[in-house]
Amino acid sequence: MKDRLAAALKASRADYTEIRLERTWSSAVTFRGRRLETATVSEDQGGFVRCLDRGCGWGIASFTSLDALPQMVARAHELSRAVRLERPIRLAETAAQQADVALDLDGDVRGISLAEKKKLIEAYNGAMLAVSDAIVDTQAIYRDEVSEVWYVNSEGTALAQVRPEVTVSGTAIARRDGTIEKGLESIGLRRGWNSVHGFEERFRVVARRAADLLDAPRVQGGAYPVILDNELAGVFIHEAFGHLSEADFVYENPQAREMMTLGRRFGKPVLNVGDNGAASGLRGTLPFDDEGTPTQDTVLIRDGILVGRLHSRETAAAMSERPTGNARAMSFRHPPIVRMTNTYIAPGQGGATLQDLIKDVKLGVYACGAFGGQTMLENFSFTAAWGHMIRDGQIAELVKDVVLAGNLFQTLDRIDHIAGDFTWNQMGGGCGKGGQFPLPVTEGAPHVRIEEILVGGDV
Amino acid sequence: MIDRILAAAGHADVLWRREERTTIAFESGRLKTTGIIEETGVNLRVATGGRVGVAGTTAAAPDVTALVDRARASAELGEQLDLTFPSKSKFPNVPTFFDGAANASLDRLIAIGKGLVERLAREGCQVNVAIEREVGETAVGNSAGARGGYPSTGVAVTADVVRIASDDVLMIYDQYVGGDLPTDADLDALVRSIEMRLVPALTIVTPPDGALPVVFTPAGLAAIVLPLEQALSGKTVLQGSSPLAAKVGEQVFDTRLSISDDPLAPQGPASRPFDDECVASTATRLVEGGIVRAFVYDLETATRAKTRTTGNGHRGIFGKPGIRYTNLIVGNAPPPRPAPHAPGLGGGLIADIQDGLVVDDLIGVGQGNVTGGGFSHPVGLAYRVQGGEITGRVKDAAVAGNVYELLKHIGGFGSDGRWLGSRWSSSLRLEGVSVARR
Repeated sequence: MKDRLAAALKASRADYTEIRLERTWSSAVTFRGRRLETATVSEDQGGFVRCLDRGCGWGIASFTSLDALPQMVARAHELSRAVRLERPIRLAETAAQQADVALDLDGDVRGISLAEKKKLIEAYNGAMLAVSDAIVDTQAIYRDEVSEVWYVNSEGTALAQVRPEVTVSGTAIARRDGTIEKGLESIGLRRGWNSVHGFEERFRVVARRAADLLDAPRVQGGAYPVILDNELAGVFIHEAFGHLSEADFVYENPQAREMMTLGRRFGKPVLNVGDNGAASGLRGTLPFDDEGTPTQDTVLIRDGILVGRLHSRETAAAMSERPTGNARAMSFRHPPIVRMTNTYIAPGQGGATLQDLIKDVKLGVYACGAFGGQTMLENFSFTAAWGHMIRDGQIAELVKDVVLAGNLFQTLDRIDHIAGDFTWNQMGGGCGKGGQFPLPVTEGAPHVRIEEILVGGDV
Repeated sequence: MIDRILAAAGHADVLWRREERTTIAFESGRLKTTGIIEETGVNLRVATGGRVGVAGTTAAAPDVTALVDRARASAELGEQLDLTFPSKSKFPNVPTFFDGAANASLDRLIAIGKGLVERLAREGCQVNVAIEREVGETAVGNSAGARGGYPSTGVAVTADVVRIASDDVLMIYDQYVGGDLPTDADLDALVRSIEMRLVPALTIVTPPDGALPVVFTPAGLAAIVLPLEQALSGKTVLQGSSPLAAKVGEQVFDTRLSISDDPLAPQGPASRPFDDECVASTATRLVEGGIVRAFVYDLETATRAKTRTTGNGHRGIFGKPGIRYTNLIVGNAPPPRPAPHAPGLGGGLIADIQDGLVVDDLIGVGQGNVTGGGFSHPVGLAYRVQGGEITGRVKDAAVAGNVYELLKHIGGFGSDGRWLGSRWSSSLRLEGVSVARR
């Protein structure tokens, strides 16, 4: 494979050429209720070429016909030359890398039969169904893949990477009369078969909660002090802040640049945020990004001040900053764009506990888990999986339909207390941007307190 | 290819698809990227010994034996299902291929994009435009003797205007999606549609509060339509989670509400002569005059529900076929030759609104408990209506309600019917929507 790549690269007449080839082996087993829905093994393969001539635009080609690689290089070059730019695209300097990296497969999923995978996910599915008669429907999904990725560029970088992934996830639907509630569990790891056993209790817990939510009242809408649990705090920082720190949002837009000027205060001094693609063993972790730049820990907010952002080589050059190893592509079907990896809120210095965060809250909401979140530029909406009222410094009754909505700038500035109980939340699914979904990412955070935020529900 | 695979696979059906997409992207007014995406793949489903299995591949010259083996291995674990593939039949005639789109040169596509960028440019705003032209070929066949194939073209033009003023971020988006290149009138409509929403958005006004009339534009309607799309899917019915499952023949909604799935709609972006399971296309009336009539099915869900497929089988290269709507028609059906959508924010539904909203975009649609019809979303893009006129954009407001309750008495459909992706609808006015400011 390397020889084919080298030959195609050599034949390219473009000023800059990069080629990515991928071969992905994957399998999936899905249960819906007691019924096995699918059990499949898939093989996907294809290539991606990107060319850039001086003063021209990007020319890209994505293809499944690998035999056509030389023609595709020529076509990408031709497409690059079709565009003339007054302000040329520049790429920030990076050292050429040569490496052969196989991440720990931890029980190569390719060697495990579909029947064994079915047995595993059937057990998790059964654990949810057995919780209560109120559980009327479930969905349980086992999914794995091993992706071999070759990357070369005309500056001397040549990489071969093996990337494993495995996910087990479940949805439990509880129903009584017209009321329907759900519980979600999802565990996604950049590992293999050995790492997805022994999770029955976690699936039971979400099914039990779905049943409990049937009897829970809807949260009374209004502005409250809110404590986010680790999972929701992680989703929040990814969705509400992380996307704005992606430099492709600002690099061509003077007004956005001004809004995201380094040195601007974004929060109180307790707030520290970063993105670490080099963190060990996480789902968003990779040694190199899809432009061959080594990944790193990038601090984005230090002591409440914006100090960094995430870059590709192009955005870094345009802003005279350094590439951070955040140019990622979902697959050979897509160009690399600026993406997050493992995004985190750092733990607070004092080692505070959840109890410390709630003890002086008279009336508030403890918002837990995430059904989803969406940011529309400076406004966001997050749906917690469940919540509890906080009354007189104590966690009180279970409540449902906890939707948090607000303005990013106001809300970040209202984060006033951060616990020391940091965890990474290794979920399946992933992040979507520019039609590329789901890209594996991880979020990490401790418990976080927001002085005041609007909680929807009964508005 | 189809015959070769079927010969080896026994009781089976196959889809083969080849697509080539040409993409061009203008970032902040500059054309920066042009590209091509080529993809060919095969999706095979076998029904071996009464069990169903699937396998897919994107290999250029697939190893037929290996593919069939993988599908059979999948079937070994698969459920018992007596799947009967449709036999040979005549397919309706519906245009899917347009020479203009297929033959458009890169320069022609670039010129369309450039024209839009120029027309949308304005001080303090960034304009992004993307154009994607797809030329495809689909072939399906099964062991019952059915065969079908058709070429297709598709063009998508998307444009957004972003304006950032200190910490206020405004983004207005629109699209053209069709089988053929957009006409000048289509492009005019796109530009007008963005301007019509941009100009009043420059003034920010205080949001109202209370149970108020709200006009959902064709784009804003997504939150209202989503629970219905879910509830009208045969799969949801089969799972026992559709609130409409037991309501066939009942008057559930206002008599003015009709919803249908029409794969033969003229100019429908999702029109095609048959589905990915070789079932001839036909329109399905899902809700008629507020009465629930039918649900959409593919072959498997129909078999399990002991009913007939509605020809809504969709398949990708990987995984198993599933249900997908084609052209979803909400409200009044499009005229045979729909004019490009007319301007007028609110679709003529706001003249008698003393205080209310026009909602064009909500944040977080699809989160939460969609099935039950309840929604509660902050607005992404919405306008206040006072004394029958739009007075400006509201921020920091949320709307909430229950789709099933609100659709019992609708305030009417607007005169601004248009395609938005493969959904046809006009603006819809609902009464008593809960509006809150924060």
